[in-house]
Amino acid sequence: MSTRLADISRCFQGVIPSMVATSDRNGTPNVTYVSQVYVVDEGHVALSCQFFNKTRRNLDENPRVCAEVYDPVTFQAYRLHLRFLRSEKTGPLFETMAVRIEAIASVTGMKGIFKLIAADVFEVLRIEPVEGFLDTPPADACDSVSVDGLRSEIRGLQYVSEKINRAADLESLLDGVLDALDTYFGFSQTMVLLYDECTKRLTTIASRGYGESGVGAEVATGEGLIGTVACERRLLRISRLEAELRYGRAIRREAGGMAPEVPLPGLPDAQSALVIPLSIGDRLIGVLAAEDRDPLRFGEWHEAYLEVVGNQIALGIDRMADDDSSTADRRPPTADSTRDVAPAVESAVESAVDRDTRKRTFTFYRNDDCVFVDGDYLIRNVPGRILWKLLNEWRSGGRTEFTNRELRLDTNLGLPPVKDNLESRLILLRRRLDEKCPDVRLEPVARGRFALRLGSAVELVER
Amino acid sequence: MSTDRVRDLALRDGMSVLVGTVDRAGVPACCRAVALQSDDDLATLTVYVPVATSRDVIANVASTKRVAVSTSHPIENVSFQMKGSVREVRLARDDEASFIEYRLGKFAEVLAEIGLPRRITRSVNHSPAFAIEVAVEQIFDQTPGPKAGVAIQ
Repeated sequence: MSTRLADISRCFQGVIPSMVATSDRNGTPNVTYVSQVYVVDEGHVALSCQFFNKTRRNLDENPRVCAEVYDPVTFQAYRLHLRFLRSEKTGPLFETMAVRIEAIASVTGMKGIFKLIAADVFEVLRIEPVEGFLDTPPADACDSVSVDGLRSEIRGLQYVSEKINRAADLESLLDGVLDALDTYFGFSQTMVLLYDECTKRLTTIASRGYGESGVGAEVATGEGLIGTVACERRLLRISRLEAELRYGRAIRREAGGMAPEVPLPGLPDAQSALVIPLSIGDRLIGVLAAEDRDPLRFGEWHEAYLEVVGNQIALGIDRMADDDSSTADRRPPTADSTRDVAPAVESAVESAVDRDTRKRTFTFYRNDDCVFVDGDYLIRNVPGRILWKLLNEWRSGGRTEFTNRELRLDTNLGLPPVKDNLESRLILLRRRLDEKCPDVRLEPVARGRFALRLGSAVELVER
Repeated sequence: MSTDRVRDLALRDGMSVLVGTVDRAGVPACCRAVALQSDDDLATLTVYVPVATSRDVIANVASTKRVAVSTSHPIENVSFQMKGSVREVRLARDDEASFIEYRLGKFAEVLAEIGLPRRITRSVNHSPAFAIEVAVEQIFDQTPGPKAGVAIQ
């Protein structure tokens, strides 16, 4: 039986570089490495063209190619006999291949310099295992999804859907989704970043599997793996991240004078990454990122499957934002509504009694909307302004209970008029407080209402 | 880049070596080599390919004499390509077997640094091997980047 591309799918994950031999019209051969061969369909593959190099010039003179690819689990080699068909410079294949290169270029400070010129498409004429490549024939290591695996994946999808549909609020939705990804897919290092239309940045709002949560960490769109996925709205799967970065750095070293590298968030020794845009239509909601030390952690099937999961998460997050906004009244506060929060003054006095002798110093820097606590960065932008408002309201009048509605009406906070993501900003603020000063807390007390709990004395400084 | 520098980089331990050829009809073939050496500053070189996996490559050089040999460091990505004509193909001698064994071991060490277990690299068939003697005509810098493909010699 002849070998099919689907039989050797592991070879195309880009873990071990492939070899490509071409020849010019005069019969002079050329042989080189390529970092990844992409499967287009069952009869075609593609190679990325980043430089107008000898391989590329040879293809215009002689379309025949011999490629050797390697199974990263067994190291068995396979030869692909190919015929060059065309170069694609636009379209879905080009965009899919380009996003990976752009992401690596962004991380290594070569954005706009190291980029895809074309996706070169080849017809697969024949595939043959390289007999005798290994001293001992490799054991058959099947990577297709087992029936049991498939069942658990379907259960996983059901579980994620249930978590999203039943989530009472955005916080439980995010926690439930990351828990499901760990339980059913074994994705133990994950994070969700939400997009802020005002700042054009993504902020980590939930994470799982990291020693320090990283909640609050920000990425600009177009920056690094996550920022590139957000910018391009395309899923990115990288199977040998370290090698890709080394390749990028080699180009950077040769080219010289590039921009500084962008440090990757998350695991310092991640070998594989799967980054999924969360969007509804063209509107970006955020990004779901998973990473692992195993270079083969994320397979091809994860892409299609997790795109479905990603769509559900995006819809769930958006629904939460809509629910929150629809329950909010944007009319100015009335005498009745101020009466709602009046009892809170009393509770502030009570809580003051419970406070220990510890003092927290919060410093607000007007120039960049940053809040520091005891000299350490805490939060900035809209959540920073919200915190500053709450602390000042407490200091001036002793209030400790607040409503989402009054925050929405406060134009000084800079919330956008629609899709303001207030709930996600409050989650971010709450989690940052939990991490950096757990004695100052924001606790939900009812839908659209929350309380400021102070377990220490607080000093406010504005600069 | 000086020839001395190219020689030092291209012939050092731990390099990955590839061989490309083409038949008279213009159909390319390739295989992985297990060792490379040169005693005369790359005026000539000897590249060793496993007998088991080099059938098409050997058939092509027998008819066309043309060969391309690429050598690349798996971590640094520093790469060169030597092109030339084949002077002789012979079975590797017993006294070359230990050199092949040594080079494969060094290659396994480098790959182990980036996560490929030594036992996998060491399982690559490397004996018996053909020794392909090449008169080098051109050397190209093949390190990824804007200078890739620039002729050094």
